[in-house]
Amino acid sequence: MSNTTTMKSAAPKNSISRKSGLISATNSILSSIVCIIIGLLVGFIILVCINAEHAGEGFMTILIGGFNNINAHARNISKEIAEAAPLIMTGLSVAFAYKTGLFNIGAAGQYSVGALGALYFALVLHMPWYICILAAMLCGAVWGAIPGLLKAFFNVNEVITSIMFNWIALYGVNELLKNNVLGKMYESTKNKTYVVRTTSAGSAIPNMGLDNIFSKSTTIAIFIAIIVAIIMYIIINKTTFGYELKACGHNKDAAKYAGINEKRSIILSMVIAGALAGLGAALFYLSGVGEWNPNDSTACPAIGFNGISVALLAVCNPIGCVFSALLISHITVGGSCLATAYYQPEIADIIIGVIIYLCAFAMLFKMLIGKVVKVKSTSDANADPQIELHEPDSDKEAEKEDEE
Amino acid sequence: MLLLIKYTLLYGIVLMLVALGGMFSERSGVINLALEGIMSVGALAGVLTLCILPQGMAPGLVVLISIVVSAVAGLVYSLLLGFSAITLKADQTIGGTALNMMATALAVVIVKVFNGSASAKLNYSNNAFLIDIPVGDDKLTINVFLFIGLIILLLAFLFLYKTKWGLRLRSCGEHPQAADSVGINVYRWRYIGVMFSGLLGGIGGFAYVIPSVSTWNFEVGVTGFGFLALAVMIFGQWKPINIFGAAMFFAVFKSLANIADSTFLAGLGLSKNVYDMMPFIASMIILVLFSKNSRAPKAEGIPYDKGKR
Amino acid sequence: MNNEYIIEMLNITKEFPGIRANDNVTLQLKKGEIHALLGENGAGKSTLMSILFGLYQPTSGIIKKNGVEVKINNPNDANALNIGMVHQHFKLVECFTVLENIILGVEPTAAGPFLSTKDARAKVMDLSQKYGLSVNPDALISDITVGMQQRTEILKMLYRDNDILIFDEPTAVLTPQEIEELMKIMKNLAKEGKSILFITHKLNEIMEVSDRCTILRKGKYMGTVDIANTNKEELSRLMVGRDVKFEVDKDEAKPKESVLKIKNMTVPSKVHKNNAVKNVSFNVRAGEIVCIAGIDGNGQTEFVHALTGLEKMSEGHIEFKGVDISHSSIRERSKSGMSHIPEDRHKHGLVLDYTLEQNMVLQRYWEPQFQKAGFIKNGAVRDYALKLIDQYDVRSGQGPVTTVRSMSGGNQQKAIIAREIDKDPDLLVAVQPTRGLDVGAIEYIHKQLVAQRDKGKAVLLVSLELEEVMNVSDRILVMYEGELVGQLDPKQITVQELGLYMAGAKRDEVPAEV
Repeated sequence: MSNTTTMKSAAPKNSISRKSGLISATNSILSSIVCIIIGLLVGFIILVCINAEHAGEGFMTILIGGFNNINAHARNISKEIAEAAPLIMTGLSVAFAYKTGLFNIGAAGQYSVGALGALYFALVLHMPWYICILAAMLCGAVWGAIPGLLKAFFNVNEVITSIMFNWIALYGVNELLKNNVLGKMYESTKNKTYVVRTTSAGSAIPNMGLDNIFSKSTTIAIFIAIIVAIIMYIIINKTTFGYELKACGHNKDAAKYAGINEKRSIILSMVIAGALAGLGAALFYLSGVGEWNPNDSTACPAIGFNGISVALLAVCNPIGCVFSALLISHITVGGSCLATAYYQPEIADIIIGVIIYLCAFAMLFKMLIGKVVKVKSTSDANADPQIELHEPDSDKEAEKEDEE
Repeated sequence: MLLLIKYTLLYGIVLMLVALGGMFSERSGVINLALEGIMSVGALAGVLTLCILPQGMAPGLVVLISIVVSAVAGLVYSLLLGFSAITLKADQTIGGTALNMMATALAVVIVKVFNGSASAKLNYSNNAFLIDIPVGDDKLTINVFLFIGLIILLLAFLFLYKTKWGLRLRSCGEHPQAADSVGINVYRWRYIGVMFSGLLGGIGGFAYVIPSVSTWNFEVGVTGFGFLALAVMIFGQWKPINIFGAAMFFAVFKSLANIADSTFLAGLGLSKNVYDMMPFIASMIILVLFSKNSRAPKAEGIPYDKGKR
Repeated sequence: MNNEYIIEMLNITKEFPGIRANDNVTLQLKKGEIHALLGENGAGKSTLMSILFGLYQPTSGIIKKNGVEVKINNPNDANALNIGMVHQHFKLVECFTVLENIILGVEPTAAGPFLSTKDARAKVMDLSQKYGLSVNPDALISDITVGMQQRTEILKMLYRDNDILIFDEPTAVLTPQEIEELMKIMKNLAKEGKSILFITHKLNEIMEVSDRCTILRKGKYMGTVDIANTNKEELSRLMVGRDVKFEVDKDEAKPKESVLKIKNMTVPSKVHKNNAVKNVSFNVRAGEIVCIAGIDGNGQTEFVHALTGLEKMSEGHIEFKGVDISHSSIRERSKSGMSHIPEDRHKHGLVLDYTLEQNMVLQRYWEPQFQKAGFIKNGAVRDYALKLIDQYDVRSGQGPVTTVRSMSGGNQQKAIIAREIDKDPDLLVAVQPTRGLDVGAIEYIHKQLVAQRDKGKAVLLVSLELEEVMNVSDRILVMYEGELVGQLDPKQITVQELGLYMAGAKRDEVPAEV
């Protein structure tokens, strides 16, 4: 392979990494935006199919999302922010596990068990809100640990396990709540669990004055979520622990060869992912965005599943999860604002579904965009033609090597 | 006891049909996590057909048409998976998950539009599908899907092991490069595998919804049955006859929830939630026991890229 | 029209984005000859053959059969032109039988799509008798030896009545005795009128079996020569572009105390019920290169994995520098001074999606030098990577931040070697360190191994390449079916003799201590 161009230590240390990092980040964002635009377009087409007359108006409703009726009351925007916080967490849960090469489709189950923990500590034990949060995280962590253990020691595919554990969690939590097995949590007259803020005021996440601007359910949860996202970003990118997890995710065998305990990494990764999902449930129920309905035993909480969309749309970048969660919450709230006379709120779910479907081959978009960007940068970066000359063929070369 | 047999046969056949679908897909090399969604779409299409067909139509024809429609709907929906997993070489797990999420939302929207209201429920008559067999004083109710299922089982076995098509399909899931080198079009066979799974998944979804109740709420999809079918497929080691056995085994667990109130089980005082959990717990245990010596097709889950050898 | 050539590839050029894999190459195959295609790894042999087999389309140039231009768009077209190929990595479905593999794609059917194998079986048996290719048609591929698998591949071509047969590096996986057998089969086939293209980089085999030879270097056509009028030296000059030394420069070894002592190591197999490594005992001294020779799949991989901690052994002890490390973790072994250049650089050696600098600290990221309180010191990692890149001449597109996946195989291997040697290990375990590399890189790596030895370190080399075994090592241990069957001095034995040990035809007691 002697036509490989030489480029040893000459380049300045930092500029190289920064430049290539920037390009790849831009590509990721662009490809996500392409997914969103196509998803919205599909949504528009569906609106037209159902009722062409009001399609434009309906589409605007979805686009405006939380800002619908903002002048009359802040209900929608409050809801958007309040639902974004737990979504960020389930998104982080999926994204974090994905860095270790695990697809945590079980965020919904971990979320359910986390909800049970939070509600038990709040409604029965009347603990302060931060203790309730920790309890929820612990419950989620335990539920996440099981698929992790099964993967590490029995090599059972975590996707199937997580799905099974979603259902087991759902039925189990419903059973415990509905029959008040652990204590009085279920208000049968309302078909829901008791409201945290009225039953145990100290267990509700504080508003810190946000309720003056928005509604009561807007708490500091959103800030907690953002801070956790930043912490996750640092763990993944700056620490030896993150280095180990990513090594396992990219190449399990090489990680083992490097002396990294890959079983431990898998389990820890799932434990943390579970804790994050559990925290998400705490942020939802302790803020009082809604109450749990134990009679609904047919589908796992949507916030758990939408975490997958959040993570994929963010290309599993923790900071990106904040923005993608806000966007998905935005579209969902927009959907719920649709005039029910003409449209169904589930149209928002279809849009989100389409977006993830597209995310599955977002790599393709990324590559296409990458090519366009590369062509452009080649034309204005003649200063160092050697590097540019080398880059496009390098992949092919490595491939060829494999063939030989 | 008859009730237990009835439900076991009912659910067993559904699980078997869908698991056979999953088998075809995985044997060709594509992991089909979208079975759950495909079932929902098949069920929706079949039930809608039942609602639309004129009242006075011959029962046999109604049965035939609605089943064909459900199969075709499943097949069309599965093409979305094929397109992403085969043509675009995307991650099969993510694609399948997206299709599951989309299916429920799509079904709800369509039913609501059809009803013209905010209800996602459809009512239908399932008499044409049911056959009563007198057993002593009692009767055992079975449904047409039992016969369809057994015929499909036989056909699936013959196809997979006795025809050149089966040989080719299997080679694509085991060693696509080898298949390609002898002129077998891997992409085409993978599409065929996925389409079979759509076909059987669609029928399976319809068969799940129709015989047991006469109204269905599409907000619930098919309550995780597609995933159970995946577990059945693994337990059945990707082999038709084993899958049949595994499906019947799981069906017993699933049936317990249905007969809990009306039989001796009521005396145990366990709630429906506990019985609902059972098949999932059983499948977990079995997955742990069987994952060590799994005979999964070697190339499943790996997109085939002609350029790379 | 009477034409001397059955296949002609004229002025073939094949460009991949940014690289020209074949540059105006011409290859003409006569009917009934054995024609060798010689070139280094990466010279473009495989690309050229892939074009002939319809896997790639040439950018320019034409292919003629019997003087008539043909287009080969896919393997089906190639098959229709009676072109068949035995790929270097066999294209066999492991869980199918031999017969099923042979008929795959051209299945005989009775009624409709239903298989009927009776006639096919008869034809396969006829062919196997005629050409001396004995196989059991009902055995599963996963149960038979590599040699039998190769025979299955040859039968696959013959069953399709192919008369132009391409053999892609067919000897890489065989014992010297099996190679002789294959040569006989090839001559036999040529005698029966088949035309054979034989891809290789081994000169001895070319001299023995072929009539003519076409040479490629870096994608360019170097010429076609009659074997009768040439010699090994000329061929190697054409292939590499300069004179090649077949010997490795090194002085007599000066072994000192034993660094590694292995006693009664037994390792269970993951694929079959038997043990992969059986009761192996030997030691390695500081200042010597010990080579474990053997045919692929005789327990070498499992042995190395057990030694480095990747797998557990069921019995035995490993003593390293006087300490029992039988139950130590991978990291503990690495910390105590053992380095490991793994067999498969993509599977074990590198995280391909990490950058070069991240890979350079793959085993050392946790050292205080590179982290503080769990946070990675990026500056220290960068400096260290730059030092290694400079010292070991690792070439890449963007220096330390290059994604390793985009680097060439030779430079990937150099990166691993830099990383492993820079740890200054007392024992260097190098498994097939030169696999798939060109002559320049091979020479470089051999020099590094000898330099380690001369520094007074112990080197344990595991190799399948006979030339490497004979030239680099100071002491040879032969492994056959998981057992050590011979301890040999490379200066005193011949390749043929070594082959007998490797094939299990000859064995001695191996002393546990030297």
